[in-house]
Amino acid sequence: MSTEKVKKNSKWSSEQIKDFLINNALILIMLVLVIYVTATRPEFLKPTSLINLLSLTAAYLPVALGIAGCIVLTGTDLSAGRVVGITAVISASLLQDITAPGKMWPNLEPPPIALVLLISVLIGALIGAFNGFWVAKFKLHPFIVTLATQLIVYTFILLYMQAGESTGQAISSLTEDYREFVTGSVVGVPIGGGKTAPIPNYVWLALLLAGLMWLIWNKTTFGKNMFALGANEEAARVSGVNVFATTIIVFALAGAMYGYAGFIESARIASNTANTGANYELDAIAACVIGGVSFVGGIGSISGIVIGVLLLRLIFVALPMIGMDQNLQFAIKGGIILLACALDMRKYLEKK
Amino acid sequence: MKRILALLLTLVMMVGLVAACGGSDEPAETDAPEEAAEPADDSAEEEPADEEPADEEPAAGGEASDLNVGVFYYDFADSYISTVRSELDKMLEEAGITYTNYDAAGSQPTQTEAVNSAITGGTNLLVVNIVETAAIDAAQGIVDSAKEAGIPVIFFNREIDNSVIDSYELAAFVGTDAPEAGHMQGQMIGEFLLENYDDVDLNGDGKISYIMLKGQEGNPEAEARTQYSVEDANAILTDAGKEELVYYDENAASKFLVDPDGAWSSAAGQEYMQTALATYTEDSNNMIEIVIGNNDDMALGALSALQAAGYNKEGGTYIPVFGVDATETAVGKIDSGEMTGSIKQDNVGMASTLMTLINNVANGDEIMANTDDYNVDADVDKIRVPYSIVTGQ
Repeated sequence: MSTEKVKKNSKWSSEQIKDFLINNALILIMLVLVIYVTATRPEFLKPTSLINLLSLTAAYLPVALGIAGCIVLTGTDLSAGRVVGITAVISASLLQDITAPGKMWPNLEPPPIALVLLISVLIGALIGAFNGFWVAKFKLHPFIVTLATQLIVYTFILLYMQAGESTGQAISSLTEDYREFVTGSVVGVPIGGGKTAPIPNYVWLALLLAGLMWLIWNKTTFGKNMFALGANEEAARVSGVNVFATTIIVFALAGAMYGYAGFIESARIASNTANTGANYELDAIAACVIGGVSFVGGIGSISGIVIGVLLLRLIFVALPMIGMDQNLQFAIKGGIILLACALDMRKYLEKK
Repeated sequence: MKRILALLLTLVMMVGLVAACGGSDEPAETDAPEEAAEPADDSAEEEPADEEPADEEPAAGGEASDLNVGVFYYDFADSYISTVRSELDKMLEEAGITYTNYDAAGSQPTQTEAVNSAITGGTNLLVVNIVETAAIDAAQGIVDSAKEAGIPVIFFNREIDNSVIDSYELAAFVGTDAPEAGHMQGQMIGEFLLENYDDVDLNGDGKISYIMLKGQEGNPEAEARTQYSVEDANAILTDAGKEELVYYDENAASKFLVDPDGAWSSAAGQEYMQTALATYTEDSNNMIEIVIGNNDDMALGALSALQAAGYNKEGGTYIPVFGVDATETAVGKIDSGEMTGSIKQDNVGMASTLMTLINNVANGDEIMANTDDYNVDADVDKIRVPYSIVTGQ
């Protein structure tokens, strides 16, 4: 009714409404989904359920935040999952309880958690810098470079899984401190009856990370250089952007994010195999493009990425809840990716 | 010229960087004052050597010297298969038999190509952990190649159709009876529930609600475990006059949650359980009362989610968790009382049975000689390594 009224009053506002609908199509789809799920299963909106959705989003966010930088440079990063994998198994092996059965490094007193986090992030950053070097130095497409590193890293994972006393079994029995540090909770939401629903610590860490990335992207010279480089390499070069250094830092920063994610995943899942992290990059890339990080280059926002990750997790949580056949979830994901990218390109083409 | 030089330089740099990445296990080394970490580290570095034919190693027995075994694994990343691999590697080395391991990384084309190149490369005994179990063509292709080359082939772990084994007198299979794991899991669950019915039935409605974590769609073992664990448990329960198990979510389209990547992963187990725990809780009187996983990895993932929510640890309610494989980790959790039970796939038994057949070939005996003590199928050359139930106490 109100739309009709608006139409009568002014011509431009119907156009505006259309634009509004298209620009926010994904958020609207999300809202419709949420309303539908809530109508069929009211418990979906309970605090515990929302916290679950939030924590799943937090778990998948770091990889997406990292990979987004590579996409802004019109590239991609296929090594993300394996980097998560190697840092996860390394973190787990270092922080195994001293009494763990089949402990990988027997007699190794677990080192401080912060040190392991640092090692994990450094290894990730190093592999990322390696990717960036090949991209920047030889002008290879990141798709090729990271396709290669992904394979190289997988070999290291397989070798590492057989190292020490380990026989390739899942690395588990992590120290209580480590698990508490990641999955423990300092703040909870009261849910009545004197009980609280705990919010795991990695949610806060992910939030912190998103804030940090927002600052890097929007408030630093490096961030501005990254977008300039992604939008138009020649123009950026002419205006004095160090293309070589910027590319390497973007990939190293992405790698650091995967390293962080590996450290978190390791304790979150608590059972790490050579397949830990496999295919994480695909979900992360999907989340980025859904969130408006464009493969055209030079376009993207942190808030978009958060929405993209949230939407994918929403599908994961909500579809089984409303009794949807699980086989359909892949088609729905695929459909949303296509739709999101088409809308995105439409905006881009209009600008041109 | 300059280009080649630059290329060489970067290659050196890459090796350097790679070495730096490989140094990731260094902190373990430097942080551990004990000597124990040292040799362990060495073995990691020597590992690649294992993948190549150990031809510099003269065969101890002498008679085994001309045997060149190719072992084709379906996926190095699989935890259970990795434990078989470490055992078999050890046994082959002790026997002084030359061998080469191949990783198909879950791809049948990769495996078939590896088999064919190995045959041309002089491998004279194939030990194959087939990738493709849904159709017989791949296995038949490998048997045909072996037949053409006149060399024996021993399949293991992943099931091969009888007709394939029968098509070649030098073909044999060592595996388990896949549905048996599901039946045993069902039996274990049924018996456990009869003993602890009232403790498990948290809301006291006389029914036990369960969640089923399935490893992969279309995998015969996953299908068998998903089906028989519940069916057999139900049979035991109804015989004793109890209600059948009920799936925790009556609206669900299927009575299981399957790993979307088909990887039987603990990540999938963790996420499904965490998501379920968001709406199914003790407070709302609809708590999931038992967890059934197709394998230990998935069960352990679910356990991780339970523990994050305060269950299965000191002071928390205990939710029974069942898996299959009895990996060391799972057995540790069962011993400490965090997990309830698992079904042991005997990796040592699998490796030693394979060794019996390999020795038969090495000694020029019939491929199925010396197998009287084993559980051999009546109509076909297939040996079944038995499963066993693992529970606390």
